[in-house]
Amino acid sequence: MNVSSAAVRACGLVKTHGQGQSRVRAVDEVDLEVPQGQMLAVMGPSGCGKSTLLHLLGGLERPTDGEVWVAGRRIDPLSERALARMRRRSVGFIFQAFHLVEELSAAENVELPALLAGRSRRQARRRASLLLERVGLADRARHLPSQLSGGQRQRVAIARALANDPLVVLADEPTGNLDTTATLDVLRIFEELRAAGQTLVIVTHDERVAATADRLISMRDGMFVDDTRLAGTGTGWLGDLIGLEG
Amino acid sequence: MQDAVLAMLAKEPSHGYHLHARLRRSLGPLGESMNRGQIYVTLARLERAGLVVCERADGLPERPERKVYALTPAGQQRVAAWLAEVGWPKPDLAEFHLKLAAAAAARLADPVELVAAQRRELLRRLREAQRAALAEPVGSGAGLLLEGVVLRLQADLRWLDACERAWSKVDDEVEGG
Amino acid sequence: MGSVMLVVRLVLADVRRHKVQAAMLLLAVTAATATLALGLSLRGVSDALYEQTRAATAGPDVVALSPASGPAVTPALTSLANEPEVIAHHGPYRIVYADLTTRDSTSSSVVVQGFAETPGAVNRPLVTSGRWVRSGGTVLERGFATALGVGVGDHVTIAGRSYPVVGIAVTAATSIYPWAAQIGPYGGGSDYSGLAWMTRADTRTLASSQDLPVTMALDLKLRDPAATEAFRDAHRDSTIWINFHSWQFTAEQDMVILKDSRPILVVGSWLLSFLAVTGVAALAAGRAVEQTRRAGLLKAVGAAPGLIAAVLLTEYLALALAGDALGLVIARLAVPAIASPTASRIGDAAGVTAATVAAATVLAVAVAVLSTLRPTLRASRTATVTALTTTAHQPRHRPWLTALSALLPTPFLLGLRLTARRPGRAVLQACSTATTVIAIVALLTLYAQQERGYGLDGSSTLPNLRGEHDRRLMLAVTILLIALAVVNTITLTWTTAMEARANMAIARTLGATPGQITAGLSTAQLLPALAGAVIGVPLGIGLLSLFAARNAAEPPSSWLLGAALATLLATAALTALPARLAARRSVAQTLSAETA
Repeated sequence: MNVSSAAVRACGLVKTHGQGQSRVRAVDEVDLEVPQGQMLAVMGPSGCGKSTLLHLLGGLERPTDGEVWVAGRRIDPLSERALARMRRRSVGFIFQAFHLVEELSAAENVELPALLAGRSRRQARRRASLLLERVGLADRARHLPSQLSGGQRQRVAIARALANDPLVVLADEPTGNLDTTATLDVLRIFEELRAAGQTLVIVTHDERVAATADRLISMRDGMFVDDTRLAGTGTGWLGDLIGLEG
Repeated sequence: MQDAVLAMLAKEPSHGYHLHARLRRSLGPLGESMNRGQIYVTLARLERAGLVVCERADGLPERPERKVYALTPAGQQRVAAWLAEVGWPKPDLAEFHLKLAAAAAARLADPVELVAAQRRELLRRLREAQRAALAEPVGSGAGLLLEGVVLRLQADLRWLDACERAWSKVDDEVEGG
Repeated sequence: MGSVMLVVRLVLADVRRHKVQAAMLLLAVTAATATLALGLSLRGVSDALYEQTRAATAGPDVVALSPASGPAVTPALTSLANEPEVIAHHGPYRIVYADLTTRDSTSSSVVVQGFAETPGAVNRPLVTSGRWVRSGGTVLERGFATALGVGVGDHVTIAGRSYPVVGIAVTAATSIYPWAAQIGPYGGGSDYSGLAWMTRADTRTLASSQDLPVTMALDLKLRDPAATEAFRDAHRDSTIWINFHSWQFTAEQDMVILKDSRPILVVGSWLLSFLAVTGVAALAAGRAVEQTRRAGLLKAVGAAPGLIAAVLLTEYLALALAGDALGLVIARLAVPAIASPTASRIGDAAGVTAATVAAATVLAVAVAVLSTLRPTLRASRTATVTALTTTAHQPRHRPWLTALSALLPTPFLLGLRLTARRPGRAVLQACSTATTVIAIVALLTLYAQQERGYGLDGSSTLPNLRGEHDRRLMLAVTILLIALAVVNTITLTWTTAMEARANMAIARTLGATPGQITAGLSTAQLLPALAGAVIGVPLGIGLLSLFAARNAAEPPSSWLLGAALATLLATAALTALPARLAARRSVAQTLSAETA
């Protein structure tokens, strides 16, 4: 098994919620390997366990059973403290509800992970302005989240997720709260990240978001029911769509 | 597509190659496979139907092709009628629906598997359209057209989800009974 | 009528839902009003006890005291008894200055008064246990006996001779223990002294056998008991040196022991009220969002802003008035013990006066109004739709705070950036800490005072009752203040932790450890507490200088520094607990709860 090429790996992953009768297997014996540079989408109806899977991969929740490996290191037995350090270095999170710190400006939000990782204020600031420029918000750096549109907020959140140049970005319904235009902005950024070789795991129920990925996993009741490679299948189908004779 | 070519002549008489360029611009990646020959074939048909006239214009000697196409009054009427028309392409879902039903009835194939395969295909198409849409500059006409394609595919994918749910339930009932 | 019903129903529902807050307001107001009522009742109760003792013991209106010796003294005193204003008298009798030692070697100055075995018409000490003087036996004044720990049947040694204690009595002719001497030997200053009675013969023997100093005294009853001043002025030019002690003077002298109790209680009650306001404000701040939304809801169904304010105010007023009533009852029950630290007086404390009730009620109402002012104004001002859709108090951006936090280590940075964005709460925490520190400084100052004991030559085998009393009161007030401050600190940290919950969860996803989160939350509380402690020390010293005697000792700086540090450490410990609990919540759960 080539561990080094897998950014994230899970073996026999199980997560149950609740007790006794109301015990639910949110994630049920899942095996997963995400190679570096892959953009993976996980789709499924709400409650299928896809968000739980994401939390498990990022160490926000602990599995009931099974192993999680991030960057070649097993993380499920780590202490909260070690998990936090692991997240700083290796994981960037993006959420449906953005989860920006409301009291901090866009730039300060983006600086936060870098500061937590112990970078100097100047480094953090420089990195933040670079990232905000990359998501097209250089002119909004001093705005508070409440002064930004939903799409802009999510772009700030993406910049923040990238602050420490993480090995993998985990996105939970990143476009769930966005309109079409804002969704396209976010997808455009994801597309750039993919082209730059960033490993991405996106949980979504939006087919458009899923379709940008290289690989698509469908989840039902905590289990994987389908695993499709979407990449490298350019069929020229679009050209066939229009025919003058038609 | 004949109607579209006619309507493009409504603004002003135009050369064939000029029409082709305009079409390509509007359609973006969707127009890539369209060659100039197809335009001339269409124009010839329209001329035969008396909807356009072909005039030979004085041109530069190094450009031998001097045909300019213009609308006839009949052509203008046809354009006006086309604009007023509210027809819409029919969604062709019946065929797939029947395919699933037939496969299930004759036990030729598992409908759920068929749906999954179809889904994969549509997702690949969606990916392609989505990529093309993202590559277009914001606000371009071609981008708008691609957006329509994407939304249609999304609708189809959602219908496939519904199919999957329905046929999975049928499976469960069969197994249960 | 309908709107009154609505207000009542809303108030009841709210109190039922927020029992802790209601209980806290109630208790805080109770503590504050009880303390205030006690402070204000002291004089009245002291006067009332004196009055009752005076009535029970046929207390004299004037005591004439002559420290001179010689044959002219007795006739001069006797001639006073024949004045037309005088309707009754007792004496002249000897007052002998001696010392007294108990079995367990406690010794004290004592004045021995020589009385007849059958009491006269004026100054008839009331025997509270045992019997009245007989030959060879002595009766001790009750305050003195209590301080000595001596009862009927014990033996005491007076000027080297042992006497059995045959009885315990009280009198209104002298001030309470230890001011029974009235004037010192030869008319000089008097030591802290107790009072004992013996038969006339025993007194004479006592004085002559040891050649002890003697003062002759005469108790007088005047036709007009209020005219003591006039009587004294009329007899000032006597050829013999005579001191006149009026009953008003004696009653006033009773208050000396309470001189510092009053400011301790009254100022203590202000500080308690202040903490009550900050505590309730802290709780109200935690509920601001909910209150605002409720106000919006009421507005949406057509309630006027006045009704909303009425509901809030009614709730707080009702609780404050209940606390007021409770506080007054407690004050009434506690006042005899506090207004009479010695056992020298008898009788029941009079009820709390109307003025005291009014003052305590004003205090309670002020606490209620001050606590509700902000939420009431905010709730009734916010537009309906904003109120309904509001999820949180809109934060403001404070770039200077961010700049400041950038200089600090990560947990401090987190604390400042994520939680200390609410300056109001920081001010509350600072005030709460400052108040506590003021009380502790006052307590330390009281403990730093060098006090003369009531024993012989200032020996502290008999403790200084006044100092003891003051310390005990100050300790009680300080404990109440600290208890309220502790509740305040926990409330503030919990409120902050709950409000910062989402931010803290976000920080966790970005790689902040639970330890950093806890430290951050604690820091957010600790920084204002530090400011409060720094301000509290000089404020406490300043406040005390308004009341303290000129020669009062200041506590050593090491004590003050230690107190400030201890307060900060306690704050850190108190804040760490709720912060730790908050930091341990599951990140995933918190974030999904925030989204829902």
